[in-house]
Amino acid sequence: MQLKNMIRKGIRGGLLPVLLALATAAQAAVSVQVLDTTGQPVPNAVVYAEPAGGAVLAKTPRQVEIEQKSKTFIPLVTVVQTGTPILFPNHDNVRHHVYSFSPAKTFELKLYSGVPGSPVVFDKAGTVVLGCNIHDEMVAYVQVVNTPFFGVTDRSGSVKLEGLGNGKYTLKAWYFTMGPNEAAVEQPLQVQGEGRASIKLNVKAVPL
Amino acid sequence: MVRLYRLESKIVALFITLLVVVQLAGFVAIRTAIDRNARASISEELAVGERVFVRQLDQNAQKLTQGARLLASDFGFRQAIGTDDRETIASVLSNHGARIGASMAMLIGSDGLIRASTLEYPDTDLQRSSLELVRKAGNGNGASENAVVGDRLFQIVAVPIKAPVTIAWVVMGFPIDHQLVNDMRELSSLQVSILVSQRGGAAWSADVSTLAAPAASMLLKEVGQPAMRSGGLVDLQIDGNQYRARLLPLAQASNGQQAVAVLQRSVSEAVAPYQRLQLILLSITVLGVLGAAVASAVLARRITSPLRDLADVAKRLGEGDYSEGLFIRRQDEIGRLGNAFETMRLEIASRELKISRLAYQDQLTGLPNRVQFADLLRDAIAEAARTPGASCYILMMDLDRFQQVNDVLGHSFGDDLLREVAQRLSAQLLHPGAKLSRLGGDEFAILLPGVDQDGAVEQALQILRALEQPLSLHQQTVDLGAGIGISGYPTHGQSSDVLLSHAEVAMYIAKRKGSGLVIYDPAIDQSSQESLSLLSELRRALERDEFILYLQPKLALGSGQVVGAEALVRWIHPEKGFIGPDNFIPFAETTGFIRMLTLWMMEQVARLSEQLQQQGVQLKFSVNLSTRDLLDQELPSAFAAILQRHRLQPAALCLEITESAIMDDPARAQNTLERLSNMGFALSIDDFGTGYSSLAYLKRLPVDELKIDKSFVMKMAQDQDDAKIVRSTVDLGHNLGLRVVAEGVESEEVWFLLRQMGCDQGQGYFMGKPMPVQRFLEWREQWRAPDMLDQSENVAV
Repeated sequence: MQLKNMIRKGIRGGLLPVLLALATAAQAAVSVQVLDTTGQPVPNAVVYAEPAGGAVLAKTPRQVEIEQKSKTFIPLVTVVQTGTPILFPNHDNVRHHVYSFSPAKTFELKLYSGVPGSPVVFDKAGTVVLGCNIHDEMVAYVQVVNTPFFGVTDRSGSVKLEGLGNGKYTLKAWYFTMGPNEAAVEQPLQVQGEGRASIKLNVKAVPL
Repeated sequence: MVRLYRLESKIVALFITLLVVVQLAGFVAIRTAIDRNARASISEELAVGERVFVRQLDQNAQKLTQGARLLASDFGFRQAIGTDDRETIASVLSNHGARIGASMAMLIGSDGLIRASTLEYPDTDLQRSSLELVRKAGNGNGASENAVVGDRLFQIVAVPIKAPVTIAWVVMGFPIDHQLVNDMRELSSLQVSILVSQRGGAAWSADVSTLAAPAASMLLKEVGQPAMRSGGLVDLQIDGNQYRARLLPLAQASNGQQAVAVLQRSVSEAVAPYQRLQLILLSITVLGVLGAAVASAVLARRITSPLRDLADVAKRLGEGDYSEGLFIRRQDEIGRLGNAFETMRLEIASRELKISRLAYQDQLTGLPNRVQFADLLRDAIAEAARTPGASCYILMMDLDRFQQVNDVLGHSFGDDLLREVAQRLSAQLLHPGAKLSRLGGDEFAILLPGVDQDGAVEQALQILRALEQPLSLHQQTVDLGAGIGISGYPTHGQSSDVLLSHAEVAMYIAKRKGSGLVIYDPAIDQSSQESLSLLSELRRALERDEFILYLQPKLALGSGQVVGAEALVRWIHPEKGFIGPDNFIPFAETTGFIRMLTLWMMEQVARLSEQLQQQGVQLKFSVNLSTRDLLDQELPSAFAAILQRHRLQPAALCLEITESAIMDDPARAQNTLERLSNMGFALSIDDFGTGYSSLAYLKRLPVDELKIDKSFVMKMAQDQDDAKIVRSTVDLGHNLGLRVVAEGVESEEVWFLLRQMGCDQGQGYFMGKPMPVQRFLEWREQWRAPDMLDQSENVAV
């Protein structure tokens, strides 16, 4: 009866994925969907889960690339774990001057073409806004997080967070249109095997 | 109102009035249109000006925005902001702000806080405006607006600083300066002022203006209370110039301060070109009026001056002066009128000439007639009167025997004769100024101006000598002769009438005396004066019935019966008593009064005859006719009227005419006698045997009776010759088929002798004298004829 009630409540209150997750094994993946104020799925939203209690989950991060092509940063939104080196290969035939004045990572790659010799290591959590000094319209966002469980929502606004063990987490969601000082939206996440979650953001989804 | 009596003034006044009215109407219409157009164009200009000014402000703001944006995109500046390097930020703001002319610049973070400012203590209004502007800009590329800061109007712009997302805003403020309004003035010819209301909103202060300082301060007063003015059109009066202005609200501060732009256009400047146009129109009007005045005056003169000339000519014509004409060489109506006038003048002149010729000239001889002669005489008298001692004379002559010539040889011959005489007379004139004239009939007169009596006599003798020569005409030789009367000024009279009548009197005397010439003598005139009074007395006598009808019986000698009576007239003068016919009948005959007397007699006789006929008494009354009566063409009809009135037949009367009366003008006499005879009157020749009538002539007359003159009858008992004449006359009469009457039977002896001779009727004292009607009637009752048988045998011839 209690289960039944919980299921019913979960369905109603969005707890159902959690319950489902709880029902699965320890190493599970959680599917999270991000919706905007109108209930539309939000693509390119950063979703990450931080274990409750602040336990640091060490994981050697892999190098990530944000390329410049057709005077555009690709991808627009990148999420990395702290300490992740990001390479900025220039695939255009014009030079770019990549910079960031963001406190999380201030750097500058002065006019260059091709692939720079070394990547930039993002070692501080926070939002880093990237621009090109000679192409004002070029912009890219790098969300640096302290957890290995993260992802960027796809076209349907969904992302699957993999490798979460059962336990309590804080599920956070961030969208690039949010203000520079605006904190990510967070909600508690109880992982119990495979699960699903949904986060509502106070933003307006920008279509891809 | 001045009344215009001259055609010229009327025409000119009409032309000018018309033109002025038309021009005035046009002027008013144009003026109204110009005024409306000017105002509309000012309004339009102001509306355009407002759009231009707004655009200019906008462009200015964009220029400023561009500048600010250039600053905002500076990498170093952005780096300083990104790294929150406040010192650097402040110095960049001041440096770059000054570079683009901003009087203040500040950096506002994306959190809405002022991070840096060139002003040490930014105005709160400015802060609020800046933040509002940033909010207004939102995610956009920047915004601008007008703001009141202090007492000045600023354009403030806000541009985002992107790295590459917006990390902050730069706000810069630029005071609106003279450059802007001067540019506006050059673009639009509008005066531009920026007014800012003072704190508390009581009055305006001028920020910048294209107006000179005094005018700008007047403008402040004119615009009035800031609260009242929010926009729209207003009329302003500045320094005596009228302006139309548009108020354009530019900014409204939260403390109630506001800023407006005043765009003003000088009305006088706007209408200046139109005023020039109006001035030109006015000049055209004035010139037109002057031109029309001159043209209409010329036109009017062209019409009226010939009219005036024609009026003058007409006036002269009226005065009888036909000498001067008027030639108007024009083809129009005036010309035709002039030609008509000219034709009229010539026609009238020629007609007058003809008339005066008829009036003043004798048609037969071409000599002056009596009227002209009288005029000439008057002139000559006047001329003589001017010179002391001068005189002028006239001769008046009458041809002898002309009447007989006329009767015997015919009127045509008589006319030719008169023409010949005229020629001969004119050839005899001795004095150069002498004028020959035919007064009428065979009467001629000669005027001798400036000639004395001796000269006149000499001239008269010359003429008489000339007339002694017989005149040959148409194979006939005629003996001429004349009686000439002479009178002269001033000896015989002062006026032409007097001279003429005196000359005439003298002429008659001359003719009567057969003495050739007679100079007038006042003694002659005495008798003519008496004659004159006699004539008036005769007239009065007729009016007062002083004449009395007398009858002398006519008896048939054979039977002794009273067959009729001769009607005679007697005059009982109220003062002089009984006047015998010998004392007034000849005078009545010469003056023509006899005609009235004849009619009176006829009337009396007819009345009596009517009375007697009603009593059954048949008597044939005889009435005497004179020469004058025979010449009177009206006589037969007058007689007919009298007979008709008394219901009498003409046969009841006998008309007696003396032989000499007939012979005075035999043709006329015969004509009248034939008419009377045809009417039925019995005609009798009176005093037969004393005249010169030819038997041939007598034979032609329609006569019924001969009356043997009493001079033969009275003494026939004693004088054998007379008895023979009487006897042969009786025989002659009977042979011609006429009744023979003897007058002057004064004795029984004569009675019997006549009876024996076969004379039909007798008349004389033996039977009865002429007596009044009543006595005659009584006498007729008593009359007893002598016993014929006893006496007839005693008398033997």
